[in-house]
Amino acid sequence: MPISLTMPRLSDTMEVGTVIKWNVKAGDKVRSGDVLADIETDKATMEMQCFDDGTMAKIVVEAGRQVKVGTLIAMIAAKGEDPATITIPSGTAATGPVAPAAAPAATTEDADETGGRLRVSPVARRMAEDAGIDPRSIKGSGPGGRVIKRDVQAASTNVQSARTPIDTATPLALTRPQVVAMKPPTPTTPASPVAPLALGAPQGRVVALSNMRQTIARRLVESKQTIPHYQVTMRFAMDELVNQRTKLNDALAPYGVKLSVNDFLVRACALAMARNPYFNASFAGDHVVVHGEVNIGIAISLPEDRGGGLVVGVIQSADQKSLRQIAQESKYLADKARSKGLTIDEMNGATFTISNLGMYGVEHFTAIINPPNSAILACGAAVEQPVVRNHQIVAGWEMQATLSLDHRVIDGAMAAEYLRTLKELIEKPAMLLV
Amino acid sequence: MPIATLASDTSTHLLKSPNGIAPGKRPEIPAATLRAWLSQMSLIREFEVRCMQAYQDKKIGGFCHVYIGQEAVAVGCVAALEPRDPLVTAYRDHGHALARGMHPKHCMAEMFGKIGGCAKGKGGSMHMFDKANNLFGGHGIVGAQCPLGAGLAFATKYQDEVINSGKSDCVTLCFLGDGALNQGALHEAMNLAGLLDLPVIYVVENNGYSMGTAIERGTTMAHKITSKAVGYGIEGLEVNGMDVVDVYVAMKDLIDRCRATSRPAFVDMRTYRYKGHSMSDPRKYRGREEEERYEVEDPIGKLEKLVKDKNYATPAEIEAIYDGVKTLVRESIAWADASPVPSLDELYHDVYVEKWGPYTGTSLPQMLTEKP
Amino acid sequence: MPTREIEFRDAIREAMSEEMRRDQRVFLIGEEVAEYNGAYKVSRGMLDEFGPRRIIDTPISESGFAGLAIGAAMYGLRPIVEFMSWSFSLVAADPILNNAPKMLFMSGGQFGCPIVFRGNNGAGGQLGSTHSWCVEALYSNVPGLKIAMPSNAYDAKGLMKTAIRDDDPVFFLESERLLSLKSDVPEEEYFIPFGKAAIRREGADVTLVSWGRPVLFCMEAAETLAKEGISCEVIDGRTIRPMDWETVFASVRKTNCCVVVDQSWSFASPGSEVAAQVSQHCFDDLDHPVLRVHSDDVPAPYAQNLEQEMLPNPRKICEAVRKVTYRL
Repeated sequence: MPISLTMPRLSDTMEVGTVIKWNVKAGDKVRSGDVLADIETDKATMEMQCFDDGTMAKIVVEAGRQVKVGTLIAMIAAKGEDPATITIPSGTAATGPVAPAAAPAATTEDADETGGRLRVSPVARRMAEDAGIDPRSIKGSGPGGRVIKRDVQAASTNVQSARTPIDTATPLALTRPQVVAMKPPTPTTPASPVAPLALGAPQGRVVALSNMRQTIARRLVESKQTIPHYQVTMRFAMDELVNQRTKLNDALAPYGVKLSVNDFLVRACALAMARNPYFNASFAGDHVVVHGEVNIGIAISLPEDRGGGLVVGVIQSADQKSLRQIAQESKYLADKARSKGLTIDEMNGATFTISNLGMYGVEHFTAIINPPNSAILACGAAVEQPVVRNHQIVAGWEMQATLSLDHRVIDGAMAAEYLRTLKELIEKPAMLLV
Repeated sequence: MPIATLASDTSTHLLKSPNGIAPGKRPEIPAATLRAWLSQMSLIREFEVRCMQAYQDKKIGGFCHVYIGQEAVAVGCVAALEPRDPLVTAYRDHGHALARGMHPKHCMAEMFGKIGGCAKGKGGSMHMFDKANNLFGGHGIVGAQCPLGAGLAFATKYQDEVINSGKSDCVTLCFLGDGALNQGALHEAMNLAGLLDLPVIYVVENNGYSMGTAIERGTTMAHKITSKAVGYGIEGLEVNGMDVVDVYVAMKDLIDRCRATSRPAFVDMRTYRYKGHSMSDPRKYRGREEEERYEVEDPIGKLEKLVKDKNYATPAEIEAIYDGVKTLVRESIAWADASPVPSLDELYHDVYVEKWGPYTGTSLPQMLTEKP
Repeated sequence: MPTREIEFRDAIREAMSEEMRRDQRVFLIGEEVAEYNGAYKVSRGMLDEFGPRRIIDTPISESGFAGLAIGAAMYGLRPIVEFMSWSFSLVAADPILNNAPKMLFMSGGQFGCPIVFRGNNGAGGQLGSTHSWCVEALYSNVPGLKIAMPSNAYDAKGLMKTAIRDDDPVFFLESERLLSLKSDVPEEEYFIPFGKAAIRREGADVTLVSWGRPVLFCMEAAETLAKEGISCEVIDGRTIRPMDWETVFASVRKTNCCVVVDQSWSFASPGSEVAAQVSQHCFDDLDHPVLRVHSDDVPAPYAQNLEQEMLPNPRKICEAVRKVTYRL
């Protein structure tokens, strides 16, 4: 068996070597211990020793060439073999010098700079989340305005003490109005109705979901799975409201303001909170957080080219805003949602949500509660239909609205009470003006 | 009483054979013993040559210090010891391990970093340990083994005299190189050994070089290093380390004396290593002709000649010894190749005796638990 | 269990003596341990009881006798090595760090090292910088060894008995400043396991973690802070390797605040390790980042006022606690 001589590793750090000088040539007899060649390594020039007895058959790598450690550099014929018949094994072409290994890209830890202005200690963040309190609504007493444990503890106690017994005799309390400067909105057209189905077989395809739609999907499932939903429906006589709306829109036309039915509903729902504070609340494990602000979320559907789905735009402190302000704001939110998209501030903080499919002609539907709200109002269309008034069958405008409720916070009697309040406000819409 | 020393041959630092023992007074070593020594020494030689080859083939990593040229020291000293006597050495330890009785397959597997190694692959070339044969390492830090040697002697004496209420009956051999002469640890150990009457013999394998530094460049009294022992009140001896018979005769006498008196001793064992300090040493600090001068002193060659002269073996029998050794080493390499690498669990094993946290306790290596 | 009040030094001596009576393989070796009765009188009377073969005086030769003891431990004896001060252990750094903790691993499980190294550790006696080392930061980095650091006589005895029976190398860090402190120690035999911390004081507002003498500083600070209405929970780790993490984490989850008090210098110290582990495991429970109180990052000075200021003293601990509880 011929013996292959490879470039030896003559130092622990050696990767390549160069034969400076061969001391033997093909045909020479060699013995174990003979110095066959001088090899230049990374550290010094060393002697390459022979470990076996035999005859040099072939020198594969001549002096002067640098090769990698392990490369075949010569062949020795063992005792009894004919050196002339030794062939170089295939696939052992000498390889060139090793390129230095590329240094691995240094991974740097992303500096955990959120850039946000909110500073909250980890435990305070967790406590706030458990209590259903937005940490941004808490004044932080720590350095740099950091919200810390005792700040959250204090905030939770404040919210708790806001729960007062229902007083049906006291008129709806109103505090100072808030003026919101809005740019004049441009008239909108309702979302175009869905195009009729094309004839022929539908095309199968895969539609990727945007992050928003995935988030919506997740939250809807979470809501349905964790909140014990139940529904309560009421019919509302809309005649007065429809009249009131027409009159007001006439008066507001020169100002470019147009009130929609939904705007009336937003204000009505907001005002009804004062007497029914548990509708403006959130379930928090071992307690209920009743919110001070009444922020009504309005469901806004997005066209396909904006990703489809729906967003909830929030009208902050809706109980403090006039119908005109609500109209302006909801239009602004709807337009913005369908064009640029809403900011986080514009989408956060709703304490109650209204979803209205009336413009599509839907009479009745039930909605899924938007957590952490405890209720959502699903409004159908105001439909002119036969109704009974003063024991007579006449044509009248009726609307069905269905509350979906979190039974952990609101029981049936409370729901009924709220709808009664709402009915009062909607059927005597002048109450919404004061 | 120290053996009188002859002047060294001025062309080498070695001592003349038969090292001061008058002709006719040299004890006869039985034929079987000489043949056994020839087999052991050539085993160490062949093993170390194949280690060099394996290192160049990248099968052995890190450091590798071969014992080529010094075989007579390990074999002769171990022959003079009882199995119960502790032995500890530095990092040029393959020869001691094999001489003490470690099977070459475990020694090679250790260097290949395999689980079948004497230390499960977790020690490497410098850490040969063998509890069954009282080999306490294998140590990498120069001189660190010297206080350990004193401690082993302390322990055997404590066991014999304090625990068993008998008489100290063990001797510890602690090997070191001439480079370790300059480490404080040796001096503290010799002081303690002299003070506490510890039966430890410090055998300096004086091959004249501390890596690349010739002894006279690093050590005072380099021509007479036994003077360092005298300073500690310890008996010093000069021995020809290239002749296994000389080594055995001198050490047997010394060991017996130290065993009886429970006193330390110091040996200047003159020897020579034919290869570099380790695998990356190009030996530029000495010339070719110096090495050729020492080649004639090759201890294996000397023993082979003695065996032939005394007709203790025919050339064919000697050849058979060498072939047997080559086969044994070849088979050991194959065994080591086939031994698996340690599993990753081994990282947290043998760190503590106790199991706690991520640590999984300890267990003996295959070498001690498997049937030979 | 009937108890009596004894000094820290007596507690250690009792532990060593009990173990030496029980197991002949145990012996004590070090400078002045025998005829001088111990430089700090810890081994007083032991020469009389056990004789010069088992209480062994050494020359000033730390590297030598530490290595000798390790060799003896490899053979199967169970030495106790006294360093007159852990400051002197630096001279023996090679054997105690390269041999003792690694022998079991390097020999593939063949030779362990059942040894105890003990001695005074820490500053406070105006001994100057070379005699005032706190070595826990240096040595707790090394796997293969264990570190115990008692703060009182009761713990000293229980931990020392465990250390001697432990088959792994143990570094036992005492303190010259604690040797005369008394506490109630039972007459009967008892052991304190490694890796089991003690809660010295229960509290609700902040968790203090410490070992050894600084535990006493924490207790003093806790008294002061209690008057300010801050309730401190003081955890005495007792051992650094292994460390009882569960007790620490459970406490931090309760108090939401953590201050670690460590007499070594702060860079890469056991205190820093506690801060890292608590930050990692109790991240969501923290109201404030973990603060560390260490000795100032300077060599120990001689002048009494400077030395006292350098230590992790109660004043610094109070300041840190007020920070983490936002009571500034």
